[in-house]
Amino acid sequence: MRRLLARRMKIHLFGAFLVSVGCATLYKFGVAEPRKRAYAEFYKNYDPMKDFEAMRAAGVFESAPPK
Amino acid sequence: MANPTQLGFQDASSPIMEELVEFHDHALMVALAICSLVLYLLTLMLMEKLSSNTVDAQEVELIWTILPAIVLVLLALPSLQILYMMDELDEPDLTIKAIGHQWYWTYEYTDFKDLTFDSYMVPTTELLPGHFRLLEVDHRLVIPMESPIRIIVTADDVLHSWAIPTLGVKTDAIPGRLNQTSFITTRPGIFYGQCSEICGANHSYMPIVVESTPLIHFEAWSSLLSS
Repeated sequence: MRRLLARRMKIHLFGAFLVSVGCATLYKFGVAEPRKRAYAEFYKNYDPMKDFEAMRAAGVFESAPPK
Repeated sequence: MANPTQLGFQDASSPIMEELVEFHDHALMVALAICSLVLYLLTLMLMEKLSSNTVDAQEVELIWTILPAIVLVLLALPSLQILYMMDELDEPDLTIKAIGHQWYWTYEYTDFKDLTFDSYMVPTTELLPGHFRLLEVDHRLVIPMESPIRIIVTADDVLHSWAIPTLGVKTDAIPGRLNQTSFITTRPGIFYGQCSEICGANHSYMPIVVESTPLIHFEAWSSLLSS
């Protein structure tokens, strides 16, 4: 029982650090990085005029009615 | 465009909103780290693994002062970076005035020609197929895509707020004051927003619709309207 708290504190502080960094890492590689990649992929070969023509053909624009 | 089951932000349609989405992920990560740490320690204490008679704790006091200060700096730096980025305004191609009234918006394009029009919500009974309830307007704010636009926002009567979530824009409309905001739309499309400051009975019924089109169509539209 001697120095029980000190021993437990050392183990659990390390454990707490691992848990918090682990959660942050999980979020970073599970949510944040895929989102960044999704945006990069979307804009890599994005053609705004092609997108515009598709929306125009659907008739959504007030300023550019369908041909 | 918002959808009922969304948990996060709408997809970004401007570079600033993309930065804000990334910053939000960063801030949420920090919040998750802190909350998981607190939960872990709380669980330990509830299981009585960390009870002590100690009343003196100089070392741990130092740690739980320095560490939060570091965390705050990690949050503040990207936040200030984006704040200053939002204030950058490199020669906008177009300046439009948005004036809030009870309960509609007036838009003034006075750069080249004198073009002014009001923008009222389309009542639910007059919606066309494919239109969105409480979001459509009779005259949209048409802008050229991929061009820096400056919006000067004010109000005629009470406080309003001009907001478009997907562009990362929200600017208060205050009577007697001109507030400036700017954005660039990265793609063509229709972007919806709603008045974001309580302004009376029909506060929820004065939406904002921005239509982003190629320059040639914007020019044709503005010529048609100003003739």
